[in-house]
Amino acid sequence: MTRPRLRRRPRAPRPDDPTLLPAPPVAADVLDARLSLLDRQVLDVHGTPVTTVDDLELLAVGREDDASADALIGRDVLVVAVLSGPSLLTRIVGGRAPRSRLHRLPWEIVADVGVGVALAVPGDLLDVTWTERWVRDRLVRRIPGGTHDPG
Amino acid sequence: MSRLLGVALGVLTAIGGFLDIGDLVTNAVVGSRFGLSLAWVVVLGVVGICLFADMSARVAVVSGRATFEVIRERLSPRAAGANLVASFLVTLLTLTAEIGGVALAVQLATAVEPRLWVPLVAFGVWLVLWRARFSIMENVTGLVGLCLVVFVVALVLLRPDWPALGASALDIGPPPGESGLTYAFFAVALFGAAMTPYEVFFFSSGAREEGWTVADLGRARLNVLVGFPLGGLLSLAIAACAAVVLLPAGIAVTSLSQVALPVAQAGGQVALAFLIMGLVAATVGAALETALSSGYALAQFLGWSWGKFRRPAEAARFHLTMIVGLLVAVGVLMTGVDPVLVTEYSVVFSAIALPLTYLPILVVANDPQYMGEHVNSRVVNAAATAMLVVVVLASVAAVPLLLLTGGGT
Repeated sequence: MTRPRLRRRPRAPRPDDPTLLPAPPVAADVLDARLSLLDRQVLDVHGTPVTTVDDLELLAVGREDDASADALIGRDVLVVAVLSGPSLLTRIVGGRAPRSRLHRLPWEIVADVGVGVALAVPGDLLDVTWTERWVRDRLVRRIPGGTHDPG
Repeated sequence: MSRLLGVALGVLTAIGGFLDIGDLVTNAVVGSRFGLSLAWVVVLGVVGICLFADMSARVAVVSGRATFEVIRERLSPRAAGANLVASFLVTLLTLTAEIGGVALAVQLATAVEPRLWVPLVAFGVWLVLWRARFSIMENVTGLVGLCLVVFVVALVLLRPDWPALGASALDIGPPPGESGLTYAFFAVALFGAAMTPYEVFFFSSGAREEGWTVADLGRARLNVLVGFPLGGLLSLAIAACAAVVLLPAGIAVTSLSQVALPVAQAGGQVALAFLIMGLVAATVGAALETALSSGYALAQFLGWSWGKFRRPAEAARFHLTMIVGLLVAVGVLMTGVDPVLVTEYSVVFSAIALPLTYLPILVVANDPQYMGEHVNSRVVNAAATAMLVVVVLASVAAVPLLLLTGGGT
């Protein structure tokens, strides 16, 4: 059993610092999407890995009809969907993948956000796991012992 | 009682599983050329791997996130992508070296050309990955790998001049006839052999495979802190055997049979039989671990389902990755490339790739969101940060030294 240890808390910026912008009004916990969502593991309802958060679909509150990036500036933002697809590549080399190449996981099926993003549905029902199913059904299941429980 | 047995089993497995073809070959090469003057690097490497394995196992157990999920999440897309490519290639290179090592070890027993063994060995490795239970795989290879204690026995039987041997371990610097550059090159190689990245992917993912919880952390730490240093002692015994027998005879190790020479001279056929058993177990064990590690790295990075605890059909892309990895290794070995040479390069590239995985783990081991109260203590942080300097130095120095010394020749 480890002893509880004293920890230094991260030093918060002083609220009276004039170089800081005024803090945004806080309705709930503020989530830094880049830090706490992007590239996190997505798990299905059974805890099986599904994919990673490659990108997010965002919508500005009050301007739901405008999907351009400019509409987001200065407004409260809703996360509409978790996107999975070749956007890791486009985040490195620039550009944008066509929407048809991205798999959408609507935010309604997200159950919890912690060190991973937990879904409330089984992964097999989602389009994004089609490569897993393809490899499983065409190859792995056909090799003898492929469905054998290891232990 | 069964608890004590479990602890003993874990420690013994850690000792037997510590050595792989990289440790075996590099320690013998270094012993035959530099005596024990590089023993300090083994000590440094063991301290490093203890810190690294302790942190990554703790991250995996406490947060439930394995090494490559953390790397993906903590680094920028570019750095994480480069990291995956480098780590995956180094792991494949190590897998190739291990499978070649098994073939060479079997050749010692059968005198049959290693290339005939390579496909059989790879198939056997795949079969274990496909069917065997994780704990059985770990314990069998680890325990049989303990046969490599024969190096310690051989060293005692050789009746070396112990005080002189001890003094030579403290005599840091290139021996006469060797340049400072080759000395530095082999220091980097030896460091890479002791601190191979795959060991860490494997150790952290293995904690998930075996379903460890926070309650098992003490046991995990014991395995690492007792098992790895004793494994390091075996490494030193290999170098010492080579230093006692091969160095005075002017034999520089270029093949696995030369690694076996001192043992055969000291203990005859019985010792040789133990050695071959140990060699096969150690290399098969490491081949299994590297094959799994290649699957872990890719699957965790891309968010696929992974793990031997699942049925192969439930981690299809993970198993496909390992199959392709094994096929690549067989393909490379079938070109007739010398497995010992592949090993020598794999340890140097391990040293190069090491900071890429070391840094993200160090960062996350300090992140309270992941670790809660189990973040690094100040002592671990101080040691781990000092080790980071060493890891980066070895990585930066590796390529220039490789080119300047022509691979140590």
